Amino acid sequence: MSKKPSNANQSERRRFLKTSAMAAGGAFYGGLVGTSTAAQEHARKMLDMQHGNQLPAPLGDPAAGRPVGVQAEYDGYSRFKPTRGDDPDSDFYLGKLMPGFRSADAGNAPFYAPDLDKLPWKMVGGVKEFHLVPMAVEREVLPGYKLNVYGYNDSMPGPTIEVTQGDRIRIIVTNELPEETSVHWHGFELPVQYDGASELTQNLIKPGKSFVYEFDVHENGTFFYHSHIPMQEAFGSVGFMIVHPKKVYAPPVDRDLGLIFQNFYVEPSQSIADSWRMDWNWQTINGRSGPYTTPLVVKHGERVRIRIMNFSPMQHHPVHIHGHTFWITGHEGARIPKSAWVPRNTELIGIAQATDFEFIANNPGDWMFHCHMVHHMMNHMTRQVGPRVRPDQTVEAYLADLDRSPGVNLKNSDPGFKTPGYPQEMKGMVMQPEFMKAIWNRREVQGMRATWPMSVMGLMTVLRVLPDDLYRIVMESDDRVEKGAVFAEIVRRFGSPADYEAAMKMHGMS
Amino acid sequence: MAPPRIPATPNEIAFSEAFASQGPVANYGLEELLALAAKNNPTLRQAEAHISAELGKALQAGLYPNPVLSYEAEQIGVDGPNGTSTPGEFQGGVIEQRFVTGGKLRLSREKYLRRARVSENLAMAQQFRVCNDVRIHFYKTLAAGEILSIRREMAKTAEDSAVTAQESYNMGQSNRPQVRRANVALQRARLDVLAVENAYNEAFRTLSTLVGIPLCVGTVEGVLETRCPVISFEEAYGRLLAESPELAAARAKLSVDQVTVARENVQWVPDLVVRGGAGYNFEAEQTTAVAGVVLEVPLYDRNQGTVRQAQADYARQRQEIERVELELRNRLAMIYQQYLTGMQHAREYEQVILPELKAAYRELLESYKERRVDWPDVLMAQHDYFDARLTQVDNLLHARTQEVLVYGYLLHDGLMAAPGISPQGHIESVPKPR
Repeated sequence: MSKKPSNANQSERRRFLKTSAMAAGGAFYGGLVGTSTAAQEHARKMLDMQHGNQLPAPLGDPAAGRPVGVQAEYDGYSRFKPTRGDDPDSDFYLGKLMPGFRSADAGNAPFYAPDLDKLPWKMVGGVKEFHLVPMAVEREVLPGYKLNVYGYNDSMPGPTIEVTQGDRIRIIVTNELPEETSVHWHGFELPVQYDGASELTQNLIKPGKSFVYEFDVHENGTFFYHSHIPMQEAFGSVGFMIVHPKKVYAPPVDRDLGLIFQNFYVEPSQSIADSWRMDWNWQTINGRSGPYTTPLVVKHGERVRIRIMNFSPMQHHPVHIHGHTFWITGHEGARIPKSAWVPRNTELIGIAQATDFEFIANNPGDWMFHCHMVHHMMNHMTRQVGPRVRPDQTVEAYLADLDRSPGVNLKNSDPGFKTPGYPQEMKGMVMQPEFMKAIWNRREVQGMRATWPMSVMGLMTVLRVLPDDLYRIVMESDDRVEKGAVFAEIVRRFGSPADYEAAMKMHGMS
Repeated sequence: MAPPRIPATPNEIAFSEAFASQGPVANYGLEELLALAAKNNPTLRQAEAHISAELGKALQAGLYPNPVLSYEAEQIGVDGPNGTSTPGEFQGGVIEQRFVTGGKLRLSREKYLRRARVSENLAMAQQFRVCNDVRIHFYKTLAAGEILSIRREMAKTAEDSAVTAQESYNMGQSNRPQVRRANVALQRARLDVLAVENAYNEAFRTLSTLVGIPLCVGTVEGVLETRCPVISFEEAYGRLLAESPELAAARAKLSVDQVTVARENVQWVPDLVVRGGAGYNFEAEQTTAVAGVVLEVPLYDRNQGTVRQAQADYARQRQEIERVELELRNRLAMIYQQYLTGMQHAREYEQVILPELKAAYRELLESYKERRVDWPDVLMAQHDYFDARLTQVDNLLHARTQEVLVYGYLLHDGLMAAPGISPQGHIESVPKPR
């Protein structure tokens, strides 16, 4: 919002902070950081604290209320606050069958996969006709970090093919790769000649040539398409294929979201993924890595479906959502009968598997949503040793004169080194101003804590559950929203504001 | 369990001359050292002495023979007119003078003057020997200084590796044997520094001996990179044929042998020895005179053997010139290939290898800064870059040394005694040089 916080005491506070920070730089950081330059740098960062321990000014309209005519509670389960319900055998236990705001009459909720387009189609003779183009693609997985991979129609993952159960579809695949390929329609029970299993069922599509796949879709659920050449798969050749049911699933959802988890190996100072590797250092969700993954923003009280598909070449992903318990309602094979739904916080999704989660977004906030594998919670994880962990040392000192080494003290004076295993901190990547600008230049992240990009990395994204008025400000207005303002407002309304400390606004992240 | 400790520096446990670590040191430039050598290298004085000696022989060989004065008393006791025994039929002084014929003295003088010219050429060669050697050892010292500087950087890399091993150990990412190996690598790098310090001192001291006076150990200032254009083999050889002092000496020696033949050819021409005097004839009681002429008759000895020997010496010297030419070509062949190899290596290192290794090191540093690579990978790249710089110093020294030889007529070894004209031959084994 353009509304600014009261800053009557700001200059005085800044002066206080400046004085105390400089003093601290000499007294405390002299021992830890070792140089006055480092202490000054730290003090300068402290000056960037926008609010100290105070919350940003109130935002939105808490009195705007909730949708009228919506039942807020079913059998002890509330759509507006964390609850489990009164009876595990109840249809509404953990919000199992609690309907969303959307009526079944409105049809299936629109499917949305952040950062991915949908493949357009046109009806030709009663058949939905798509044009799919396997090709080499450059994908910007983080601001300034572009990977050379394979995808479809200028996108990796490819654009989503969205159809409805009962459609007859025709997909004309024109191979713009310099090598042969085929497309497999993963999970479909189709005539074998269109299965796309290279050579077993068809001749490969030569570069520049086309092949027409045509079949009736009688299934519904979460499916995907991919090249059936293994190294092309490892190089990114995949896309969602969502088949909506003819009869809307009950209860209907308000949000239908899709995420494709992948990983790649890319050497430092390299942009071409190495599909032959057995280990993986770049993690992507819909072709982007945290914190460039786009948060899933939903409204407080909505029923949400998230379809997650794991197309990593070698690794499974235990996917964990904070703050919510969800029901497993489907896999790529089919919708699961309600009697077999399972409530979970974490679901292990195997390679080439898709899983549908459904839950009521009853807990407002910015919630971590990530693969729980430690090495997947950031990209290209490296060891901490070297100048990074040494007092008085910087990489800049090495870069300043490549012909001379600045040298090293033979004994690390950091008292922490008396502790075996120190430091275990997983230091994040360096985030330059341009990088941060791209991260913040999205509506979906407005009002999040200033430091959120420091924690959301690799196979991580954020589920944002926002009250209606805040949702409108974030997603439906062009207003500038101050960093931390939306989060603070949620704390103010749903948490304990007296215990909350605003995030330090790091230098270069404005 | 704590990791094995990083060992102490060898300075604390071994003898060290601690080069350049105590107080100010003198700096020397090449020109200054060459000037000092010109003044103090004893072989240059020797070379001058050889010229003086030949000039002395020339003077001596051209001197005209002295007249011989004698007093003669003949027929002592012969009876005089009174029947008494007289002091002698002749008592008087006689003067004898040898008249040298055939231009022997002129030819002898000419011969030794030409020998002096040979010595001048040999002295020129000696100057190149000294100057080239001073240059080569100047560059060796310069290279030793640069190597020392790089080795010290590599020791810092090894220290960093040892510290990194400690850090890795504390994070469970290396074990005790790995820490020990890092410590061993560090000590080896430190020993390398000591060895290079010693090598530097040796290089400087050698340089000092060539200059001819003791110099305080200090540093040299200059540029190791070659400055002269790359010369082709044929150009280099042509330059030798035209300008080599050794070849010039050989050619001058041929001139000496030529005049030696001329000189020996007139040796058989008899000198005229004339003598005359006046005295008193006590028998005849009157003053009388004596006169005489001596002339050797070259009936058997017409110096034909020595002439033949001189001709043989002349013929041999013609071959000597050819031999020297071939020997120069032979020496040049080896030196030139080393020169060219050194130049090729130095240029390729300068233009491709070092920039590439430096760029690789920079890229890894930047990747480390972005937290994309582990620090040991950066240290390895740093080590590789520094190691290649060591090799480049070797390349440059190699190229520069050979360049000095190629441009300096292949002459070196500035403490070898300055040679005189050779061979002396036995013709000169006479009291008076001829």
